[in-house]
Amino acid sequence: MTDSISTQPDSDTLVRIRGLTTVLNGKTIFDALDLDIPRGKVTAIMGPSGTGKTTLLKHITGQMRGDAGDVVVDGNNVPTLSREKLFELRERIGYLFQNSALLTDFDVFENVAFPLRQHTRLPEELIRNIVLTKLQAVGLRGAAGLMPAELSGGMARRVALARAIVFDPMLILYDEPFVGLDPIALNQVLILIRTLNETLGITSVLVAHELDAIKQVADHIYLIANGKVVAQGDPRTIANDGSPWTRQFFGGEADGPVPFQYPAGDYAASLGFTGGKA
Amino acid sequence: MSAQPMRNNLVLRSLAQIGACALFLLQILAAIPRSLKHGRETVRQLWFVGAMSLTIIMVCGLFVGMVLALQLYYVLSIFGGTAASGTVVALAIYRELGPVVTALLFAGRAGTSVTAEIGLMRATDQIAAMEMMAVDPIAYVIAPRFLAGLIAMPLLCCVFCALGIFGGHLVGVTWLGIDNGTFWANMTSTVELGKDVINGVLWKSVVFGAVVSLIAVFQGYTTPPTSEGVAYATTRTVVASSIAILALDFVLTAFLM
Repeated sequence: MTDSISTQPDSDTLVRIRGLTTVLNGKTIFDALDLDIPRGKVTAIMGPSGTGKTTLLKHITGQMRGDAGDVVVDGNNVPTLSREKLFELRERIGYLFQNSALLTDFDVFENVAFPLRQHTRLPEELIRNIVLTKLQAVGLRGAAGLMPAELSGGMARRVALARAIVFDPMLILYDEPFVGLDPIALNQVLILIRTLNETLGITSVLVAHELDAIKQVADHIYLIANGKVVAQGDPRTIANDGSPWTRQFFGGEADGPVPFQYPAGDYAASLGFTGGKA
Repeated sequence: MSAQPMRNNLVLRSLAQIGACALFLLQILAAIPRSLKHGRETVRQLWFVGAMSLTIIMVCGLFVGMVLALQLYYVLSIFGGTAASGTVVALAIYRELGPVVTALLFAGRAGTSVTAEIGLMRATDQIAAMEMMAVDPIAYVIAPRFLAGLIAMPLLCCVFCALGIFGGHLVGVTWLGIDNGTFWANMTSTVELGKDVINGVLWKSVVFGAVVSLIAVFQGYTTPPTSEGVAYATTRTVVASSIAILALDFVLTAFLM
């Protein structure tokens, strides 16, 4: 599979993953995973906890390399890129961290301006205008002077989003963007994701568990479990898929293909009972 | 596990740490040209590790000089040699106490805060966010802190020595009544610029500054991203820096004598 993959930019697919295999500490995270992220769409990656969703984002951005397989982003096979080429690619990717990852020494304005100051020699006035435009887009122009410690979780997430889109990226990766948000903040983030996708045509990849939110925003859903894609489709199709995986995951069943119990030895033996007798 | 394999394991882990630290130093040195464009960050760190350490360095320098003069006065008075107090205070401070105590204080005051800051940046994904924004954290975060420590240590050492000698003068001359002219004349005639001041204050403090800064940034950058990890890393910075300073002091003294 790794021999045949094309590294030519594809007009329909922005991210193409083929045969991705990753083993961490003896545990197989991805087992020859195949997955495509279409251009200009919102794609959601879902799955049980610990199934490797965030790890998948790290593979796409080159923060991690798999043991085998290809991760091609806009024609660039990420695992084979040099550090310089990888950084060039990352300038075209926005990444929203689960905990926002704002730079705590800088205020909101400087956080959003940070990538511009590092990679361009734009005049101060232009930087100011770009930053204020992005902050206006996320509704936080008035918070430009606040420090990260003064922001609520939802506000910090929106500032991080403003920073992620400051270069108008081709791809934004959202790692658990809805965690810890109240319904108002969640709705604001949802609207922003959809608006950015529709107005700027940015390809978006979301890792999230909130099915109701995902249904509102995603064009395509991948359900990952046991290192593979176990179901995929648009939100309506996948919810009615009927497979044991989707039934358990979307139905919130405690036991099923994903066992309730973490793998362990014999219960009676661990309690000190032998041969079924006390 | 028996004692022997445990000892071997400890030795191997220590050697691996030293090797990783040496490789990290090479990364920092390679990143220094790129870090020069972040000059403002280096100046900010210089303020943080240098200027903010001034109070503790000045106070400790003053008291070390005072207690040294007091002890020497009583020892030298047995032999009727109290006039040599100024000389011995100056030699002890320039050659040993200045660079060593400054470095130990620097490790405790600035080294730990650098480790904790970098460790928390890692724990809160700020380092990962920089990498995702295509900003090299070695050039932006690590190299400026390393350079700031390298520059700040000799300057702090000079301040420590000045305050130490002032403290010695305060006790020896003002309090215990040693003649002012004798105090300074003996000192200036015995202390040599190259052998005592340059070798002691400059070379030792530059080496100690580099070692403490390297240990501080290395521990912060490689710490596990947990609160416990950061706590252990700051402790390791003080312990490893203290051992390195005292061991290197012996080696440097042997070479520079």
